[in-house]
Amino acid sequence: MQRRVFLAVIAVLVLVIGLLPVAAMLVRSVLSEGRLSLAAYDGLLGSGRQWTLMGHSLALASLVTVPAVILGVPLGVVLGKTDLPGRRFLTVLFVIPLLIPPYIMAVAWSDLLGGSGLLFGLAGCVFVLLGIFLPIPLLLTMVLLRTVDPRLEEAGLLAGGWGRVLRGITLPLIRPGILLAAMLVFLLSCGEFSVPNYLRYDVFSVECFTQFSAFYDFKAATAAAVPLAVVTLLILLLERMFLREKTYRLRPAAGADRLPRMALGRWRGWVLGAVWMTALVLVIVPLGVLVARSGGPAAYAEALHRAGDSLLRSLGYAVIGATLLSLLGFFTGYLIQTRALGIWRFIDTVTVFLFALPGTVIGIGLISLWNTPWTNFIYGTPVIIILGYLARYTALTSRICVAQLEQIPPSMTEAARMAGAGWVRHMAFIIAPLARRGLVAGWLVGYVFSLRDTGITMLVYPPGHETMPVRIFTLMANGSPQLVAAACVVMITATLLPPGLLWLGLNKEKGNP
Amino acid sequence: MSIVRMTGVSMSYDGVTALDDFSLEMEAAERVVILGPSGCGKTTILRLLAGFETPDAGEIFLADELVARGGRILKSPEQRNLGMVFQDLALWPHLSVKGNLEFGLKAKGLDRDDRERRMATILELVGLVGYEDRKPGALSGGQQQRVALARALVLEPQVLLMDEPLSSLDPELNVRLRREILGLQEKLGFTLVYVTHDRQEAFDMATLVVVVDRGRKVFQGNVEEARAYLQ
Repeated sequence: MQRRVFLAVIAVLVLVIGLLPVAAMLVRSVLSEGRLSLAAYDGLLGSGRQWTLMGHSLALASLVTVPAVILGVPLGVVLGKTDLPGRRFLTVLFVIPLLIPPYIMAVAWSDLLGGSGLLFGLAGCVFVLLGIFLPIPLLLTMVLLRTVDPRLEEAGLLAGGWGRVLRGITLPLIRPGILLAAMLVFLLSCGEFSVPNYLRYDVFSVECFTQFSAFYDFKAATAAAVPLAVVTLLILLLERMFLREKTYRLRPAAGADRLPRMALGRWRGWVLGAVWMTALVLVIVPLGVLVARSGGPAAYAEALHRAGDSLLRSLGYAVIGATLLSLLGFFTGYLIQTRALGIWRFIDTVTVFLFALPGTVIGIGLISLWNTPWTNFIYGTPVIIILGYLARYTALTSRICVAQLEQIPPSMTEAARMAGAGWVRHMAFIIAPLARRGLVAGWLVGYVFSLRDTGITMLVYPPGHETMPVRIFTLMANGSPQLVAAACVVMITATLLPPGLLWLGLNKEKGNP
Repeated sequence: MSIVRMTGVSMSYDGVTALDDFSLEMEAAERVVILGPSGCGKTTILRLLAGFETPDAGEIFLADELVARGGRILKSPEQRNLGMVFQDLALWPHLSVKGNLEFGLKAKGLDRDDRERRMATILELVGLVGYEDRKPGALSGGQQQRVALARALVLEPQVLLMDEPLSSLDPELNVRLRREILGLQEKLGFTLVYVTHDRQEAFDMATLVVVVDRGRKVFQGNVEEARAYLQ
């Protein structure tokens, strides 16, 4: 009983923090002076502009998704399954662009190519976003490879080589997960606003932001947000119909720690060269350009002088956001994994929907719900930023916790019940300690995504509470290129250093039980 | 008074019958071994007794008290005063031997002196004095079995359920631990429900043997009768 009541409260929290703002946005978009009206959509629908924006958004998403999967899956196989030297370092290297505010990569490439115009428009957006979202299929492939029972591959190896096993056994088994990765890349590219905004390519998310922040036309901003929400919902419905049950079945295989590893043999040099070349183009060159462009200590001193307070605020919000995200994600994950309430699947779908939804849409939703005279204690304070983090990123921390909770044998819980433990004691002393790696990993992911968030924060931050990504965005308009580059490097360091240190600590703990 | 009584219990998982019209009655301090091949429903019997599963039909009594009947659990696992040794032992890896034992004692609200006294007694009985602060991962297979046994017994259950607890051990250790379990049962007087697929293990441990096949009880009798039946 105690458990059901507590989890019901968690479910209500998820719905109020995440779904209610989106619902409020939809309701407000079709109401005018208390009456049902589509006036908000007139400007957009009347001009036919919505088709241009929709075409641009879908073209961008498709053109990023296809190469990201074509490149990401083989990279995931090479880094997750072969004996390539430096696999761990290379994996970290490829993941960096996903962990930092997306527009930083656009700034870097813009610094490199100057005003040549090569980077602007669709092609530039596709290229920059490819580097940013490549880690999604790459990492998911690496994780998915661990779900394949080693015995299935070993049985295949008796009949043929690795090439045949990969094509005929391994990749078909993980196909649903690869499709899921493609869907995620598609949705995130479709909703990304800071890169198309910087590279001047009109998509719905940019329209939404522009209508709100440049023209202060909240109704038009809402009208631009709704099509994105509908596209997200449709794609998630397709996923639910065709993929969900299949991806639920992908669980780490017994013996996943001793997976058979492919020996590259005489191909090792070529593969190593190709992987390093890809890393060079997509990660090392742009980040190197930023460091080189920043010049020297003077630019960093100025960056800290002009944006130091924003940096501190960002770190503070990220720590609070990560802590709350790991707690909410843990209990939401527990609810989903144990299926303790009948609505577990609905809650799971809602969190994934909110993560897939563009940040600008969630931002507009938060404004729709909380911007009232009675709720100014939320809307006028940093609480609104934290609510935005919780709304969008709970899916990440809850999924991590679900995966961790799946690793705990049911007999551990049953033994605790036999010992007479109530739910609170059982959670505090058995489940939480056993899931601590998931909690820490959830915290790290929560920290990184809170810190890098641009779409939500840009729309909802109260005056005087701008975060570092917002501050850099402003500096891009009125600061020198050296200053912007230095601020970006500071931001990257602040994003990567704490998780890096914590991760090293965790690995040390894992190595010394 | 029968300590355990199951009457006409049936249960299925996703439409597949796991147990079909199963009845069993046992007296206090009896040692009942449930014998049968993998997937015959042995573990389901233990899980129904423990309260982890709900019977589709039939009734389950513990000490003449109705604890479950068709479609309903009337007493949850923690209210049944049972101990269980799981097939995978389910030792909590983040807690020391002492932590594993103390967890249930704290949940029952025993004060520190009582907890220490009970733990010292049981650790002495299972030969684990000096290992209190070790984590399960730092113990041998046999020692882990003893910790699992101690954790179940420290709560002084009226019935101890054991789900193929020795199946992963080498034959020599298996035989030694059987003797130790029998010695503990004699000393402490608990009722034992022991599940195995190994005939010799069943004959060594039982006062009453129940043979299960495809969810149905096909035989019940003492060890001599069981030997004759299974020949």
